[in-house]
Amino acid sequence: MPRYLIERTFPDGLAIPMNAEGAATCQTVVGKNMDVGVTWVHSYVTEDHKKTFCVYDGPSPEAIRQAAERNGLPVDRISLVSVLDPYFYR
Amino acid sequence: MTLLERARPLQELNDLLAEAVSRHGQFVFLGAEAGGGKTTLIQQFCHTAASTVRVVTGACDPLSTPRPLGPLLDMAGALGKPDPWQSFPFPSRDGLFQMLLANLAAHERPTLMIIEDVHWADEATLDLLRFLGRRIGPTRVLLLVTYRHEEVGTKHPLRTVLGDLATSGVIRRMTLTPLSVQAVAQLAGSSRLDAARLHQQTGGNPFFVTEILSAGGEGEAIPMTVRDAVLARVARLSPAGRAVLEAASVIGVYAEVWLLTLLTGAEVQAVEECLDGGMLLAQGTGVAFRHELARQAVLDSVSPHRQQHFHTRLLAALTTSSEQDVARLAHHAEGANDAQAVLDHAPKAARRAAGLHAHREAAAQYARALRFSGNAPMLMLTSLLEAFSVECALIDRLQDAVQARHTAVRLWRAAGNQLKVGENLSSLAGLHLNAGQNAEGEAASLAALDVLSDLPEGVEHARAYQMQAHIRMLNRDHDQALEWGARALKLAEGVADLPITIGAYNTLGTSLILSGDPEQGGTLLKRSLTLARTAGLDSRVASAYSNLGSGYGEIYRFAQADAALAEGIAFCRDRDLDAGRLYMEAWQALTHGYQGRWPDATAVAASVLQHPTAATISRIMALLALGRVRTRRGDPEVWNVLDEALELARRTATLQRLAPVYAARAEAAWLTGQLQRTALEAGAPYELALQHRHPWFVGELAYWQWKAGSEIDVPSWAAQPYVLQQRGAWAQAAEAWYALHCPYEAARALSESTDEAALKEALDTFQRLGAQPMVQWVQRRLRDLGVRGIPRGPRPATRTNPLGLTPRELEVLSLLATGHSDKQIARHLTLSSKTVGHHVSAILGKLGTKSRAEAAAEALRRKMIELK
Repeated sequence: MPRYLIERTFPDGLAIPMNAEGAATCQTVVGKNMDVGVTWVHSYVTEDHKKTFCVYDGPSPEAIRQAAERNGLPVDRISLVSVLDPYFYR
Repeated sequence: MTLLERARPLQELNDLLAEAVSRHGQFVFLGAEAGGGKTTLIQQFCHTAASTVRVVTGACDPLSTPRPLGPLLDMAGALGKPDPWQSFPFPSRDGLFQMLLANLAAHERPTLMIIEDVHWADEATLDLLRFLGRRIGPTRVLLLVTYRHEEVGTKHPLRTVLGDLATSGVIRRMTLTPLSVQAVAQLAGSSRLDAARLHQQTGGNPFFVTEILSAGGEGEAIPMTVRDAVLARVARLSPAGRAVLEAASVIGVYAEVWLLTLLTGAEVQAVEECLDGGMLLAQGTGVAFRHELARQAVLDSVSPHRQQHFHTRLLAALTTSSEQDVARLAHHAEGANDAQAVLDHAPKAARRAAGLHAHREAAAQYARALRFSGNAPMLMLTSLLEAFSVECALIDRLQDAVQARHTAVRLWRAAGNQLKVGENLSSLAGLHLNAGQNAEGEAASLAALDVLSDLPEGVEHARAYQMQAHIRMLNRDHDQALEWGARALKLAEGVADLPITIGAYNTLGTSLILSGDPEQGGTLLKRSLTLARTAGLDSRVASAYSNLGSGYGEIYRFAQADAALAEGIAFCRDRDLDAGRLYMEAWQALTHGYQGRWPDATAVAASVLQHPTAATISRIMALLALGRVRTRRGDPEVWNVLDEALELARRTATLQRLAPVYAARAEAAWLTGQLQRTALEAGAPYELALQHRHPWFVGELAYWQWKAGSEIDVPSWAAQPYVLQQRGAWAQAAEAWYALHCPYEAARALSESTDEAALKEALDTFQRLGAQPMVQWVQRRLRDLGVRGIPRGPRPATRTNPLGLTPRELEVLSLLATGHSDKQIARHLTLSSKTVGHHVSAILGKLGTKSRAEAAAEALRRKMIELK
């Protein structure tokens, strides 16, 4: 399954509290992703919480967009990515 | 017999039955290997279910060419009156399916419908499964079909059915697993066999296990195969008992007692012996093998000579008994190696199968007849070849169909019948076109015209003219298409040949739509549609809808295209005409895309692309729709999609596929800043588009070359919005694009101005559509112009309406649609009448409508407003 990097902007900052509510929010996202066959691997969040870089596995860019729509998440750009690590060429 | 390790599947079936009873129809595919215990499980299930529901059962048979709709014939009695399926000829296949559905829906009790062994199903039965799978959702029916999963490889027709039904939501698949060592040990019980070895030897196959145990080997070597196990049991029967089994195995899955007696002269005692030993089961007025594996094992042990002897006597007996089932007669005729009988029965069986749309079986029966046609008269041979070719074409065995036509052409030529040579060459041309071999098709069509040229005009000429007209239309050579089409039409109407008349109207209409007379073209296509509908020629109806939709789509008349596509898709869906439906859905994806409905466009395109049997042309158009939207969104995986589209389009070598694919590639190149490549892609089909004077293809291809900086002189007859843009008239171009319902193209025209308001309007539309590359492009342009306060994102309220109406415009629109005057609206919103007037003209422009009434209707159709 292809892997995608999704860039998102949150003008007011992304706020997921470190408590049960936050955990529930994340679970909701995971559940809605499942409906369209998309898996959230993990995300990187900038210091000011205004930008995220999310790594997802999914069948197509359209499925990634659908998942974002269902979760009310913005999408700036979707890139198809593959793994490259420092020892790749050994 | 005790049922081991089947509690869970039984429970599952009972749960599903309960669901079905509460009006959530269910469709279960129950798979297992041969002898895996499907039938035993079902017997047990039926035993308990019969008290609450009506049970109807049927089975597919392992004849080399199965009876069309055999399972439905089996069910006739249990389905009760009215029972049109009991008598041939059937009303019609579709009528029959509808009647069955009505019967299932209307019966006072819920129905458990069982069809066994669908891996042997004839084509009509597979269609029945597809038909029911899409419709039993709201009924109180549990449809349970069984199949041997090891026989259903990737190319098996049942795979396609499973694929087709994958999205229907009612389908469950269950698999029966082999027995465990414990269960085998339990079955082995007091026998002296080693349970572990028995399990290993049989793989836990329940039938195999019980056969070995019944054979009662006393600690000897365990038989290596099911066959050995069965034959070990047979060996213990008396010679008379063995003779009965052998005869029964030739008669078939079900053997009538009178036939058995006739073949073996057997005493009742010998039959009793087989029944007592459990080799045969009593069923109605006959007997059946306990399992098809057992029948096959016994049949294989009968010498070919003896089999032929049985078949000969069966054929004679069945013929004198006025047997109605011609498929059965043809089967025994072949077994008896009786050429005359095969030639008598197989073509009849073929025609009956064809009547039920069981084209695979029809082709097989014609092939059977052809195998025995060595001494057949020439007229019979050619008619068999022609009919075989027709059936093969319907099941996509195009190369066999072509081969048969070639042979027919050769025979007719040798007999000096030029009319027939011409007729077959025209059909050959059609076959080549279907196979995507347009050059061969062209050659055959010209050969047909040539061979007929010196003969007085008749129906063969009409067919040849129509084929040539069709090829010219596909090639977008409209002048010639219209000329040949008119000749075909005149002649076809003269000889009252309806199919050719319908075809000619279709070709003429499509060519007129595409060559500048869309009104008259639409009228002719609709005439083709009405004639086909009245005559019940469903595939011709689908073709008329399809050409209306794609024809209007190709000239950017999307409202008309959408209307035709929606009707056509509904028509095809009701009749399971998948090929027509998929092509129209691919076009629907394109028109969604042009009109800014991108999520709909990609969803429809993806569903077409997922379909396992989508034709090349459907695939090209769906790839195009997906590629365009991905390009405009700035999403990844554009080029793999457009590369595949190009590869397929090149294979067709026609303008109608090449031009739009290259245009999409040029756009993708331009949006990623590859100017040289933009010019190359757009230039590739440009000459071809110019030769055919296609205004839209020429317009867009010239546009991309112009955008890439090439010196290009766009012809004035090219599509106006593109011509206007290349002359710098961006405002008029944007107007024109709005009128065509193309928001992206309109914004693109606006983006070519240096006017701040226009650029901001473009930016707003691009942001709403999610057209990231153009958003960035316009933002840069605004910055270069020194504009401050460039909007960063779409205003939430305008996100939901694809035409870019502002919240205020929407407000005005909903008041306007409820019949308020400008004055009333002004008062209500505390605005001046003049301002309201401006809003109204902006609304008319964005909706592409001329009057307020039209705007109101359009807004309702698009669900932009609701009437309270």
